[in-house]
Amino acid sequence: MIIPLDLLIFLVLIITAVLALSTKDLLAAVALLATYSLFTAILFAGMAAVDVAIVEAALGAGLTGILFIAAIMTTTRRSNPRLEVRRRYVVTPLIVVVIGLLLYASSGLPDRGDPDAPAQQGISVEYLTRSKDDTNTPNVVTALLADYRSMDTLGETLVILTAAMSSVLVLLRRRREDEEPGGPPTASPSAEAVGPDPDPEVGP
Amino acid sequence: MIGNYPSVVVRVISTLLGPFIIMFGLYIVAHGHYGPGGGFAGGVFIAVGAILPRLTLPEDIAYHLFPRSLGPLAAGLGMLVFLLIGLAPLLVGAAFLDYAALDIPGMEAARMRYLGILLAEIAIGAAVFGSMLTIFDVLTDEVRR
Repeated sequence: MIIPLDLLIFLVLIITAVLALSTKDLLAAVALLATYSLFTAILFAGMAAVDVAIVEAALGAGLTGILFIAAIMTTTRRSNPRLEVRRRYVVTPLIVVVIGLLLYASSGLPDRGDPDAPAQQGISVEYLTRSKDDTNTPNVVTALLADYRSMDTLGETLVILTAAMSSVLVLLRRRREDEEPGGPPTASPSAEAVGPDPDPEVGP
Repeated sequence: MIGNYPSVVVRVISTLLGPFIIMFGLYIVAHGHYGPGGGFAGGVFIAVGAILPRLTLPEDIAYHLFPRSLGPLAAGLGMLVFLLIGLAPLLVGAAFLDYAALDIPGMEAARMRYLGILLAEIAIGAAVFGSMLTIFDVLTDEVRR
């Protein structure tokens, strides 16, 4: 971890976040969010958390952007008008208060890499010292995820599968509802209603 | 944006990059024991490699390379394999997902756990790949038609 580099990355993170929120073009916002994720991944890698970094780079900077683009393709590229001014007077102080609370709480956290920190005590010592002999796996994170805590990983995989299944159910049902009212009985009146409209527009 | 992208540069580059992205994903899945990554990150990389042709290449080629049925199939099979790996130790009276309890002659417990981790990572990779591809296909279904 190099402090000036970290500060620079944090600066870039804040700038990209503000730009992503303020831009009206959603495609640009998606690109900015991907940049944000990429710099977060660099930050994680700088803290020697390479497993987290690679997932952040793959998911945050890669796939989430693609899914957002897919969503934009089916909806619209322009964002709606901003929050009404009166509501902003409530939201802004709330955000400031929450940020202040989080900063105050973070001052109570142990230093990074502190051997006396609660997270370094207890069961994690066991995992760190035994995983190589127990599982022949030099990467402790993999041994933890797929062996010691494989039940958690099973649950996570189930969550992702559930997300895929529910997106299929929600989106396909919505589509079917869109199509069925426009089926054979009602199709002809609506087609007649739509039919004359394009002509005046095409004419000029 | 789905389908044949107008720019030749984009089409050529994505055709060249796609196989390497998928290979990198397979490497991440298989190399989780020794380096960063594992099933989750690797599965996402493979999914990105499969989605790239859909965004840039002509539809018939893209959906011939990775058919729409591939997503749900890989997701379901991956989840099923992971569950079966978990259930197998129950047959010999051990705990759920305790790979080491399976007694295969000539294999020490650590080796069994090593192989169990590898199989689990491959299953996770397939499940994540399939899920992501399914979500993308469902989202872009409307644009294609």
